[in-house]
Amino acid sequence: MAVIVAVVVTAIVGILGAGALLLDRRPPAPAGEQNGMNRHLAVAAILWVIFTALSLAGAVAMDPFPTGAAPEAAFSDHAFRLMTYMGAPILGLVLAGLVYSVLTFRSVGGADAEDGPPMKGTGMVPKVWLGATTALAVTVMVSPGLTGLAEMRADRTSDMTIKMTGQRWSWTADYPGGITSDELVLPVNKRVKFEVTAPEGDVLHSFWVPAFRNKIDAVPGMTTVTYITPNRIGDGKDDVAYRVQCAELCGLMHARMAMNVRVVDAAEYDKWLAGKVKK
Amino acid sequence: MPLLLGFIFGGVGFAVGAGLLGAIRTSMGLEFWSTDMSWSIAYPVALLGWLAGVGGWKYWATEWFGGTPAVSPKGVSRYFEFNMDHKVIGIQYGVTFVALFLLSGLTAMAIRYELMHPGMQLFNEDQYNAAMSFHGIGMVAVAVAIVMGCFGNYVVPIMIGARDMAFPRINALSFWLVPPVAITLVIAVLLGGWDTGWTAYPPLSVLTKSGQTLFNLAVTTFGVVSILGGINFIVTIIYERAPGMTWGRLPIMVWGTFAGSIIAFFFTQGFAAGLLMVLFDRVIGTSFFGAAHGGSALLYEHVFWFYSHPAVYVMVLPAFGAVLEVLSHMSRKPLYAYKWVVGAMLGIVALSGVVWAHHMFTSGMADYLHAPFLVLTEMISIPTGIIFLSVLGTIWAGRLWVRTPMLFALAFIFNFTIGGLTGIYLADMPTDVHLHDTYFVVAHFHYTIMGGEIFALFAALYYWFPKMTGREFNETLGKIHFFIMFIGFQLTFIPMFQVGVRGMNRRIADFPAAYEGANVWISMSGFLLGISFIFFTVNMILSWVRGRQAAANPWGASTLEWQISSPPPEHNFDEIPVIQEGPYEYGVPGATPHARLTGAVKHA
Ligand SMILES: [Cu+2]
Ligand SMILES: [Cu+2]
Repeated sequence: MAVIVAVVVTAIVGILGAGALLLDRRPPAPAGEQNGMNRHLAVAAILWVIFTALSLAGAVAMDPFPTGAAPEAAFSDHAFRLMTYMGAPILGLVLAGLVYSVLTFRSVGGADAEDGPPMKGTGMVPKVWLGATTALAVTVMVSPGLTGLAEMRADRTSDMTIKMTGQRWSWTADYPGGITSDELVLPVNKRVKFEVTAPEGDVLHSFWVPAFRNKIDAVPGMTTVTYITPNRIGDGKDDVAYRVQCAELCGLMHARMAMNVRVVDAAEYDKWLAGKVKK
Repeated sequence: MPLLLGFIFGGVGFAVGAGLLGAIRTSMGLEFWSTDMSWSIAYPVALLGWLAGVGGWKYWATEWFGGTPAVSPKGVSRYFEFNMDHKVIGIQYGVTFVALFLLSGLTAMAIRYELMHPGMQLFNEDQYNAAMSFHGIGMVAVAVAIVMGCFGNYVVPIMIGARDMAFPRINALSFWLVPPVAITLVIAVLLGGWDTGWTAYPPLSVLTKSGQTLFNLAVTTFGVVSILGGINFIVTIIYERAPGMTWGRLPIMVWGTFAGSIIAFFFTQGFAAGLLMVLFDRVIGTSFFGAAHGGSALLYEHVFWFYSHPAVYVMVLPAFGAVLEVLSHMSRKPLYAYKWVVGAMLGIVALSGVVWAHHMFTSGMADYLHAPFLVLTEMISIPTGIIFLSVLGTIWAGRLWVRTPMLFALAFIFNFTIGGLTGIYLADMPTDVHLHDTYFVVAHFHYTIMGGEIFALFAALYYWFPKMTGREFNETLGKIHFFIMFIGFQLTFIPMFQVGVRGMNRRIADFPAAYEGANVWISMSGFLLGISFIFFTVNMILSWVRGRQAAANPWGASTLEWQISSPPPEHNFDEIPVIQEGPYEYGVPGATPHARLTGAVKHA
């Protein structure tokens, strides 16, 4: 992720910027001749590589993700990383352009300062740029965009169905066989279909478990559907990512509209279920 | 004095409206007062009273009924009443919205204090929701209106060589609708607030307490402000250009304002309609959004985002214009790829209307809508990329004069890059289903709106301050403001990306203890960010009151507003100027000046 990178980069920009101000009186760098310009471009290109490498190194070194407890989570994190890798060179390019220009093309200014070269961008550069950015945009659209979307939708089978109802300000999980719970207990490696809704006369809520990287709104009068296959045992008491958190502003106690999530092995699940039936 | 009259007439109007309704209700055997209904009826009457009191009668309406309109005073007092001079209105907008910005910013400080630790510190949950909601709508209003309202009004007519806006009275009217919006929102908070943020999603907004009614009334009024302003800019820019000011010679700030105005004019009506429908559901028992009687909550989300996504570009297109303006003049180079930029701006206008449902990927809307909105949304990065090309091409090999406006303009580019890149995560389904409604989103839109538009606002503010006030600002204080704001901003919002990915959702009064470390850091940095505005405020007040007399053209810039005195004379130009060349002919050998002010008399 870009967090560390951006902090580092910010520091660099800050320091360079402050330096630029301290050196405000320096005369402008000679520019204009063609070989001078090529040298500028070469140095800026090196800066671009450095800034991009910094961003990528940070992205690899840093892992912002909470516990992932489903293949859906791994899939989302993969897409996240992919976009970070594609974004790094763009951030690097803009930074290189900004930082290099501020450092090199500074002038003492004044109302009647010397003019720069009259580059109007009427030649090939904008066309090439347009082609490149379009190609990039189309790439992101296709992957992870459209292919990701298709993959998210591919598997609509499930081993069990749980109905989640959000009401101000709590969640209810309805298991098959008329079992109702105020804790979401899931057997590991079983594909679960969630049917999410809110009572008529209630408001919007959103069903979200950070460990599953999945979210769907609970809309009064509607049933929305999402699928998850939990694949890692865990308990919200030890790991905050295992919680159902309402993620759509629903009024007074919105912040507290959460439910504990436990992913357990088959034996423990059966035991829990049996205990529920007895009650 | 007219202000006082405005309050009195407004109060009388409120009493008349509420009284009439009460009388009718009593005659029907109902209670005299019914909060939501009484407010909804009394509010528009109060609004009329206010408008009449602040000068709408004295300077305008009386003429229609055969009276003689009063003559506006010359001194400072003209800023406190109905005035039709676009320069007065520009300053009125600027000061009003800077005040609202500081107030909403103070609210943010309180929010950050509350969110520093788990548990409740300063607020209870209800007060938190009210503070969060006020901060949201306050800042959205500032962002939508301040660049166009202040600089669009002040600078654009001069830039195109006009003596005023096309509809000066409408212009004054639309400004004077702003104070009631702000006052009503503050009153709503004092009466207990509302708890639906700035988005006002039903069914909650239909079911919640009465502060919501005041919100809907105020924000609908604000929609009217935006629509009237939009029409006025469109007509002004089409019809009031000086001879020779062809579309290809328009300064880019004018293009940005034009593009933003098209969106404001076209889409704001969706938002206003949505808010009125909520109001009807609340007050007169319709059921647009209640599932129990056949309504649909998703309907509102569509109507709301149909405006509120384009609204981002109402904020940012004039900001692009202002930043590119500053970059070109202060790099002393032509604006790179000018015509491409114009095309990109218009492309953004076109695309802005067909991307709204990217806010609804987790809403439960029909599956087949996901793919087209994903593709269309990511297409916006193509015209936006052109803007970045222009930025880099303009500063490259220039003679960069790194003064305060330039620093803000350059920072805008950095921030908006991060804002734009993180937007892609939210446009893509696999990541958005996790990130939607988390602090990742909070960080993202603060990078685009605050890091983008508000940094652009300060670039514009420092750049045109000498022109508008006739005074120089203090450069050292300006740079201190910039560096504290820039660093504080990064330190505050970058960790929000991270804490959002880790699972902290937004709009919450409290959070699990696991996120405490990050929130302490964010709050501390937030306070640093807040401190920067002390330097800003002190600088603005001191410089305006006792700054050195500014020269007519302290930046040596080529556009028209710098060719007349600072501040400009009452009707801007003694003779309408003739435009003979593009506005950015820096370094072009033998270029004729942008404009010829034939025989213009110099004002001191
Ligand atoms: Cu909820
Ligand atoms: Cu949007």
